This record gives sequence, C-alpha cells and structure tokens, in this order.
Amino acid sequence: MIDLLTSHYTYVLLFVLLGLGIYMVIASENLVKKLIGVNLFQTAIFLFFISMAYIEGGSAPIVPHEGVPGEVMVASPLPQVIVLTAIVVGIALTAVGLALIIRIYAEYGTLREDTLREVRADE
Amino acid sequence: MVADLRPLAAVLVSAVAIVLIVASHRRPNLREGWSVLAALAKFGIIVSMLPAVMDGTVFRWSLAESTGIQFLAGIDFALRADPLGIFFALLASFLWIFTSFYATGYMRGLDEHSQTRFFASFAASLSAAVGIAFAANLVTIFVFYELLSLVTYPLVAHNEDNEARIAGRKYLTYTFFGGGVFLLAGTVLIYWLTSLVSSGPTLAFEAGGIEALATAAQAEPVYAQAAFFLLIAGFGVKAALMPLHSWLADAMVAPTPVSGLLHAVAVVKSGAFGIARVILEVFGPGLIRDLPLDVPGIGEVGLNIPVAIVAAFTLTAASIIAMRKDHLKRRLAYSTTAQLSYIVLGLSMLHPYAMVGALFHIPAHAFAKLTLFFCAGSIHVETHTDYISEMAGIGKRMPLTMAAFTVGAAGMAGLPPVAGFVSKFYMLIGAGYMGGEYWLFAGALLLSAVLNVAYFWPVVYTAFFESEDRHDAKPLLEFPRGGVLRSYGGTDSDDDHVAADGGDPTDRAETTDATDAESADEEEFEYAVDKYPSDHTTADGADATSHSADARASETGDHADDDDAPGHDDHGDAVDAVDHHGDHDDHLTGGPPADGWQRRSPFAESTWLMLAPIAVIATGAIVLGIGPDYAVFLELATRIVEGVFGMPFEELGGVPLDELVTEVND
Amino acid sequence: MSSIDLLLPLLIAVPIITATLPIALGLRYDRTGWSVAALTTTGLLAGALALASVVYTDGPVSHTLGGYPIEYGIQLVADEFSTLITLLVTTVATGVLAYTRRGGPRGNTFYTAYLLLVAGLLGISLTGDVFNLFVFLEITSIATYALVASGDGPEAAVASLQYLILGTVAASMYLIGVAFVFMATGTLNMIELADAIPAAERPVLIRAGFAFIVVGFAVKVAQWPLHTWQPSAYQRAPDGVTPLIAALVSTASAYAFGRVIVTVFGVDYLAAMPNAASIVVTVGCVSVLAGTILAVIQTEVKRMLAYSSVSQFGLVIAAYGVVIAGSSETALIGAIVHLVGHGLLKAGLFLAAAVVATSYGARTVDEYAGLARERPFVAGSMAVLLLVLVGVPPGVGFVGKWYIALGAVQSELWPVAAVIFLSTMLTLAYAARLLEKMYFTPPLSVGSADAPGSIATDGGTADADDGFAGTSTHGNATPDAVSIGMIAIVVGFALAAVALGFAGGTFADLLEPFITEVFN
Repeated sequence: MIDLLTSHYTYVLLFVLLGLGIYMVIASENLVKKLIGVNLFQTAIFLFFISMAYIEGGSAPIVPHEGVPGEVMVASPLPQVIVLTAIVVGIALTAVGLALIIRIYAEYGTLREDTLREVRADE
Repeated sequence: MVADLRPLAAVLVSAVAIVLIVASHRRPNLREGWSVLAALAKFGIIVSMLPAVMDGTVFRWSLAESTGIQFLAGIDFALRADPLGIFFALLASFLWIFTSFYATGYMRGLDEHSQTRFFASFAASLSAAVGIAFAANLVTIFVFYELLSLVTYPLVAHNEDNEARIAGRKYLTYTFFGGGVFLLAGTVLIYWLTSLVSSGPTLAFEAGGIEALATAAQAEPVYAQAAFFLLIAGFGVKAALMPLHSWLADAMVAPTPVSGLLHAVAVVKSGAFGIARVILEVFGPGLIRDLPLDVPGIGEVGLNIPVAIVAAFTLTAASIIAMRKDHLKRRLAYSTTAQLSYIVLGLSMLHPYAMVGALFHIPAHAFAKLTLFFCAGSIHVETHTDYISEMAGIGKRMPLTMAAFTVGAAGMAGLPPVAGFVSKFYMLIGAGYMGGEYWLFAGALLLSAVLNVAYFWPVVYTAFFESEDRHDAKPLLEFPRGGVLRSYGGTDSDDDHVAADGGDPTDRAETTDATDAESADEEEFEYAVDKYPSDHTTADGADATSHSADARASETGDHADDDDAPGHDDHGDAVDAVDHHGDHDDHLTGGPPADGWQRRSPFAESTWLMLAPIAVIATGAIVLGIGPDYAVFLELATRIVEGVFGMPFEELGGVPLDELVTEVND
Repeated sequence: MSSIDLLLPLLIAVPIITATLPIALGLRYDRTGWSVAALTTTGLLAGALALASVVYTDGPVSHTLGGYPIEYGIQLVADEFSTLITLLVTTVATGVLAYTRRGGPRGNTFYTAYLLLVAGLLGISLTGDVFNLFVFLEITSIATYALVASGDGPEAAVASLQYLILGTVAASMYLIGVAFVFMATGTLNMIELADAIPAAERPVLIRAGFAFIVVGFAVKVAQWPLHTWQPSAYQRAPDGVTPLIAALVSTASAYAFGRVIVTVFGVDYLAAMPNAASIVVTVGCVSVLAGTILAVIQTEVKRMLAYSSVSQFGLVIAAYGVVIAGSSETALIGAIVHLVGHGLLKAGLFLAAAVVATSYGARTVDEYAGLARERPFVAGSMAVLLLVLVGVPPGVGFVGKWYIALGAVQSELWPVAAVIFLSTMLTLAYAARLLEKMYFTPPLSVGSADAPGSIATDGGTADADDGFAGTSTHGNATPDAVSIGMIAIVVGFALAAVALGFAGGTFADLLEPFITEVFN
C-alpha cells in the first residue's frame, strides 16, 4: 500500500484532484467556484497524461542540433501535445463559462446557486 | 403469377381521389362526385381482374421489380391479387359505391361540418382497406393496417367534442397497440424464424402456409406459437375479439356512414381478413395442427383451440351485452363484435366447410350489417332518434327503412333466404365434421342465433307492431343485470307492488302518487284513467313533457336500487324510464313528435341519396342468400379453400381432417 | 483519387475560416452573416454529395493531415457511416438557414457560432483519431453553448451554463477514457487502436477506459439519468437554434459513440468484455421508457420534444448494445438509419414548433389547439413528422425501428425487443396528444390582448388576431413573420421523412461494405 503511494503518487494525486474537482462542482454554491472545480477536474486529467508519459531519464523530444552518439531515450511527444491541446480547450471553455456567469450576474444580481433558483422560480 | 399494375391502381385510385376531393372543397357536388367516381373506378379495376383470378391467375405488383427500390433489406413492398385478396377488395369497393351516395345524403341531411375532411379520410380508408386486401406479405399488410388506423381516426373524432376525442384516443390506443406492438412483434418473429431455414427469410403469403415457417417451426415450436398468438392478437384488436373489443362501441360516436362501412365492413373485416391470412396463408391448417400446446392437466390442445374459445366467448358475451343496449348503434356495434367472432370461429375450426362458411360470412355480414347501419343513420337524420325505447311505431314514418332493417336483422340471425343463413349452415356442418369438443362451438353458434333474434326482433316489433302511446315494457333495458330483486321473491313490502295482472287501483294509486309527486309537473287529470295510468301506458300527447323529463332524470339516476324504493320515479315498468347504462344521451330531441309519427310513403320518407343505397344493399343481402354462387362470393370462397387444401372442393367433404392437413403439408 | 481526399480537410477547414467572415465583414457591412453562412453551407452540401458519390462507389476515403505518419499524425477518414452523418449535418445546416433568415437570431456573431458548430460537427464525423474527436467534441460544445445562450433573456444563459458544466465534465470523462486507452496501447489512431486494443498487455486499463468513455457519451447523447441538461437547453435556446442542435449535436455524439464501439474497440472484443453489453443496453432501454414518460407529462412543446429525443436516442443506444451482445448486423443498420432519420425528424419538428411560436406565440400544448385550421401546411407536416416518429409505416422511423427490433429478436434479447415494440405506444402517447390538440380541439378564445400593438421586426403588419391567438405572445408574434421559405422547409423535411421510409433496402445496401468490415 505504502509502496503504491510512493511509486505511483501521481496517480493517487490524480484521483484526489478529480474528487476535489467534482466535489467543488456539486457542492459549491458560488457559480465561479463551480467553474474552478471544472478547471481542477481538467487539470487532474492533464496530470494523468503527464504522469503516464513521464520517462525516468528521458530527454525532451526535440531533434538535437548535431548528431547524438548512441541511443537517446526520448519522451514521446504525443502526450505533451495532447496536454497542450487540452489546456487550450480548457481555456476556451473557462472563457465561455465566465462570460455566461457575467451575464447571469448582470441579469439576476447574484452568483449563488440557491438564490438563483429562487429568483428564477419567482419569474 | 403475372406482373400487372392493376392491384396498385386499385389502391391508388382513391388516394388520387383524396387530392381531388380536397381541391374541390368549395364545390360540394363535384367533391362528392369524385368519391363516387373513385368508387366506381376502383370497383371496375377489381372486377376486371376477377375472371382471371377465378381461373387461377394471380396478379402481382412489386416495388422492387418495378422501380428497383427495396422497401427493407430482403423484404419487398408487393401487392398481389389472389382469390382471398380479391374477395375482400371486391366487397369493400362494391359497398363503397353505395356508401358514398349514402354518406352524401347523411352529411347533407345533418349539415355536418368538415365534410371535405370526412370524404377525404373516407377515400383514404378505402385505399388502405384495398391495400390490406391485396398485400402480398406481412410487412405490406402491416403498412396498410397502420395507415388504416391512422386515416380512420379523423372519422372517429369527427364531431370534435369531448366525447369524440375520448373515443378517438381509445381508438388510437387499441388499434396502435394491436398493430404497432403485437402485429409488428409477430411479423419480426416470423421473419427471424424463416431466416433460420435455408430457404431464406420470407414473409410472403403462400396458400396453405409459408413453407419455410413450417420447417422452422419444427426447430423452434415455442417461438412459432408465440408468433401465432401475437399475430392473432394484433389482427384481433381490429376484429374486436374480447377483451380487445371495447373500442368498437365507443367508436360509434362517428357519423353513421363511418360506423357502417368502416366499422362494420372495412376496418373490422380487415382484422378478420388478417386472421384469415394468418391461419390460411402464413401458418396454414397443417402447421397449426402440428404445433399443439401442452396444457398441464389437460394434455395437448391444438393451437387453434384457444382462438376458437375466445371467439365463441366473444360471440356469446357480445350478444348478451347487445340485448341490454338501448342506443341502436351501440346495439349494432355489439352485434358486429359477435358476428365477427363467427368468422374467427369458423376459420379457427380448420375444417374446409367451416372455413367456407367463415369466409362467406364476411360478405354476408357486411351486406346485412351495412343495411342495418344505414337504417340507423337514416332514422337519425330524419327523426333524430337514437334510442330503441323511443322508436315505437316508427314503422309508420319510415316503412322502407324499417323493412330493410328487418331484412338485415334476419340476415344477422341466419334466417333463410337472407345471406347469413348460408354461412352459418356451412359452419355448423364443419363443426359437425370435426366432431368431439367442436360440438360446443356448434352449440355456441346456435345459441347466438337465438340471441340475435332476441336483440333484433324487439326493434322490428316495436317499430311495426307497437305505437307511440301503447308499447310494452322492456325489462332487459330497464332493469339491472340479473333482474330486479323483487322478481326473486324479495321482502313483503315489495310484494305489494308486484301485480302481474295490473293490480288494484289502490296499489296503482300508491305508486303513482309518489311518482307524480316527484315528477316535474302536477297536472290535474279529469279522468281516473289519466290519473292512475296502467302499466304500459306511457307517452301520449299531454304526457310527452313528463315523459322526456323523466327520461332525462332517469338517465343520470342509478337504477341499481329501484327494487326497494317504491317511490322511485320509474313508473313501475314503463319503458320511458330506461337507464341508458352509461350511453351518452346527447340527443334530447329524440323520440316521436307530440302528435305521434307522421305516416309517410316509402318513397317520401327520406332522400333518395339514402334510400336507394339502403334498398340496394338489402336486396343484395337477399340475393347473396338465394344465389350465393351466382353472386360470385361463394365460388371465390370455395376457390380459396381449394387453394389452401390443394384439392377440389367436392372431394374435401369426404376426406377426414387429419388426412387433409397432411395433404396440405405435401 | 488524390483530389477527393482533399475534400475531407476542406470540409472542416472551410467553415472555420468562413466563420471569421461575418465578424470581419461586419465591420464594414451590416447583415452579412446569413449570406456567408448560406454560401458556406451550400458549398459544404455540394462537397458532401461529391464525397458520398465516391465513398459509396469506391470505398472509404482517408487523408492524413500534413502528411505525418499515422503513429503520431491525425487521420481523417470518410467511410460509409461517416459520410451518411456528413450528409445529414450539411443538409440540416443548410435547411435551418431557410428559417433563420427571417425567424432566427440576427447578428453576425450568431452566424459565426453557426459556422463553427458546423465545422465541429463535420470534424466529429470525419476524424479518425480519438483525441481529435475530443477536440472536435469540445469545439462543437463551445459553439453550442454560445448558440444556446444567444436566446433572449437570462434563462438561456442559465441553461447554457448548466449545459456547459455538465458537458465539460462529460468530455473530460471521455478524455480520461482516452488516457487509459492510450496508456495501454500507445496510439490514438482509430484504425491502429482496432488492432492494438485486443493485443494490449493490461486489459484492465482498456476496460476502465471504456467505462469512462461510456459515461462521457451518455451525458453527451443525453441518456437517462444524465440527460438533465437537454430539456432546458432545447427549450431556452432561440427557436432557430433548437432545430440545429437537436438534430445534429446529440446525433454526432451518438455517431462518435458508435464509431468507438465498432471501429475502435470492436464488436468481438466488447462482446467478450464482461458487462459492457448489458450496461449499454440497460442505459438505452431505461432512457426509452423514462424519456417517453417524462415527455407525456410536459406542457411546453419544445420541452416535450426534448424528452422525446432522450427516448429516441435511447433506442439507438439500446441498438448499440444489441450490436455488442448479439453481434447483430441488423441492429447496427437500424441504429445508423434511426440516427439519420431521427435527425431529420427532430429538425422538422423543431422548425415547425419555431414557425408556430413565431407566428402565434403558441408554445404549450394547450395553445396548439385548433392549429390545423390556421396553418394547414405546418400542422400537416407536423402531424406527418410526429407519426413517422411514432413508427407508422412508411416512414424512416419505421425503417429504423424494424431493423433494431429484428436485430434484437435475432439475438434473442427478448426484454429489449419488448421495449422496442412498446416504444411505439409510448411515443404515440405524446404524439397523439399534440395531434388531437391541433386537429380536433377548437381554438382557444379569439383575440389576444396585445396583438394589434405588436411589432414585426421586418416591418410587416400586425394582424395576428384572426381567430387564432396564443394566450401569451413572446415579443413579435405575427403571422406575417413567417415566410414561405420557412413553411417550405418544414414541408420538405416531412416529405423527406416519408420518402426515406421507402429507402430501407437502399440504406442496407449502402452500409453493407461497412457492416461486413465491422463484423469480421
């Protein structure tokens, strides 16, 4: 058990972050905090990709300037690309979410979910 | 098998007419003319195919062969004019010709709304009905079956009031449950079963049963039996088999031409026709015999027996229910329910004679029932009377109509020379040949004949042999089920009020005093006869208002406890206190006018648009009875059965059934 | 042919590029949005037809972006399944424009989002890479959130935010699934995965990956109980937007789910995976039942149609389950046909609802009373579409249902078959309600209070009071706000739905090469 924790601590952290993110989405009253929870959830996934792609002693996947003697262990570029793309997607989603939240705040004057529900029910 | 466009043309003629009807919605005569023209054209096309089909040619039109479009993978959308198909199509199209005249008279007589929608839906229904007749496989028949449910819905909900909407909802629920659920499930099962066999998946009808299905059923008998019951249930909804029948009585809110042609001829007969196809051309008598059910405790029961039992139960129970209906159309609806079960019963007895009887009953019942409905409709248009209890003496006003009604009623009961006799005769012989437990079914047939008389004769009697002011009590209509408690003995206080011979004036006074106190008007009567009316005296001039007031009051009243309420306003046994048992009373204007029915001559009682069809169809019922083979239908029926069993009809009588069905399998 | 495979990246890139045009041109000219969108979608439709003509005669077409080898490059593939979806997307996108010209949201930014949505949908249909699928799923979703939120009033924003949060979590679930699969196999290309997954050393990772992917798609396709975003999103979105998203977004997600099942994981592998088939089948069947029950109790028409989508997609998901459980080819044909057919039907239905709402402000079932008299063509088309949805033959709904039911019976999955047969009755329950109201119920009281004063945005006259009036008007509700084009497109969808009802055999023939490839 301890062995698992020390060698695969990133994966454990991954699930902790996933849990935290989901918890924030469900339990927070504030809309911005929900969005932060979503972000945390996505960040956890980035961590997942990175931890699976990590190679002990690997070098960056960049073609060196001059030839290299012998073999070089290179970390695969694919997960890094994946994470970069996913970060961009996450940014776009956060931007749209925040724009919606600003609009909701402008219309209803509150960022709290329970107040929002009551105000909407009154309409 | 000859490729021919005529089956498709027969179906499409009235579909084209729909467009023309809608386009001429501003010119009623032209619009009605399209209906008549389409009916004549349809009949003409079908008749043109008749001689060849009687000789054995089968005309076929297939979507895949004409256009290369496959309806579904491995399944073709095909129409086929074979003897059974042309049998039904001929009937439907012939009767439509006269119904279109009748419907015109009816709708104009009542000045109904949405007539364009009515006639367009009517044309569509006939298109779908002929499509069902000519369908060459289970999927095509399913397509037209669903379309028929759909296009008859606007006709059921025509009145657009709450009652019509509820009836429409019920109608859609029942027919789509039958069609979309049961029929589709059965069809899919059959497709799957036949695909297990090397001769490939097929759904096409074959006289004597689908061969591939017979082979597959040896391997998977349980699924084949399940498919059989699903198909019978699916078609049985439209054929009004109990307990799936209750939509039919409610559908009577539709205008009478609809009730007549559709709910006595096209729609319900398409259900019976579908059952005929299933028994004769999907499973076949041989396969049905080979798939007995294992009932614990009884042993092996033929697959057809449960169907026969349900049919026998339906025809008895529906006849009994019909006796208690005061609303004429509802009585006719329950009569239809019972008569359709004759067809199902005959088919499920599996003997060729019974099958011929069942098949012949399709046109026999159609002609007679259509006559009856047309009469009911013309009575409604001319006098706004819907309830039998108000029809006393109406024979004066509508002699031709009631004469035709008598003919139709005789046909229902199976009295020669009307057509109903021929079919019943064949079915009884068939049941006799089968022997054994089939005598029960013969018994049910005979019992129902008696019951038919029991519920039709009162109508004829009251129309011709009674008059508005002197007519008998009708305890069947008026008392609760099982009779009034006091007729079984009851308590002492009740005994005082039962006086079979008219009783003492003092007895009479007690009841009428109480009732007079409750009735709406307190009139001073000069004569004791008026003050203390006897049993059977009811509506007459001065009492017309109290009559209708009481009738109205008793409608909503609950008559279950009238036995121990001596002051209850039911005038003893008078018929004007009939509880309509939940029939919706929406015509408060029914019944004879204040000074009794006006005597009219047969030619002046109604418009010729309605009278001519009534006369023609009643005559047709008699013609069918006198010369059944001359009128083509019996010959077609024998031809169909010959095709199923594979031997000439004259020989079929001599061969025992077990040999017959093995002949089929060969 | 070398040039035909260039069509694939063009189909995706062109709408992305032209999406910038309405904003760019908007600096100078007003109201360029619709024209740009119309030109683009028509061009895309032409391209899709050209692609279809090649794919259905010669076989799949593929293109690798940038020429990179597929181990780490992105491949676009158009096979028989994806071409069908591409055709659906381009057809509906073009068709809805007939409505939005006069009825829909105005503004150049709206058309930018419209074109981005189309680009994302085409990307989902044409991609051959699982991570690329995630990216396009998110592009589609972002465009959808923007479109939903473009409705009037704050309710649209709330619905959109709810959709955003749920949709993002769902896409992230999908991404976790992809991560697990990538961890086990090291490749992202769908065709390579088909070989690599059965050969993976650690099957537990593959199973975990599949589980996360199923959950992600269950939210995206709005299956019960993860459907809660859909009714509000469809209801609150502007009337011109709902046909587009209802017909296409969940359809593309369901397509992606199907692609993952049959191409990436493979039917045989999933059949051997414990519980995979039963979970998919159960989710589908429960959605069928739950969706129809929830639909029947709705009063608002768009909400009712949204729940109807839940149940119809339930049929598709149940069909996928039957494909896995019974290796059923027929069920796969049925799922694909129903996917396409349902897309057309919902597009038509929501367009009809939009026309009615625009002209009469009628949004609830009760307000539809007597519609047939006032709007015979729209009511007639709506009736036809509803009946085809129920499964009345001939109609594309019947064709899909037939194949799915046949597949279930052939695989001897009797509960599933029973649910499919019963779904006819259940769909009839809510369809018949609307039919009865339109045709057989007299209209509500004549003359609403504010009709004479309402303004038509195109300057038309306000004469909305001839015998039919909804009891509430939403902004500019006048019969003149409806153009012939709007009615024509509704009628067109209805006719297409019936015409495709005769194409059951054609569908099976077109998909046959794909089916044989999947099943051996």
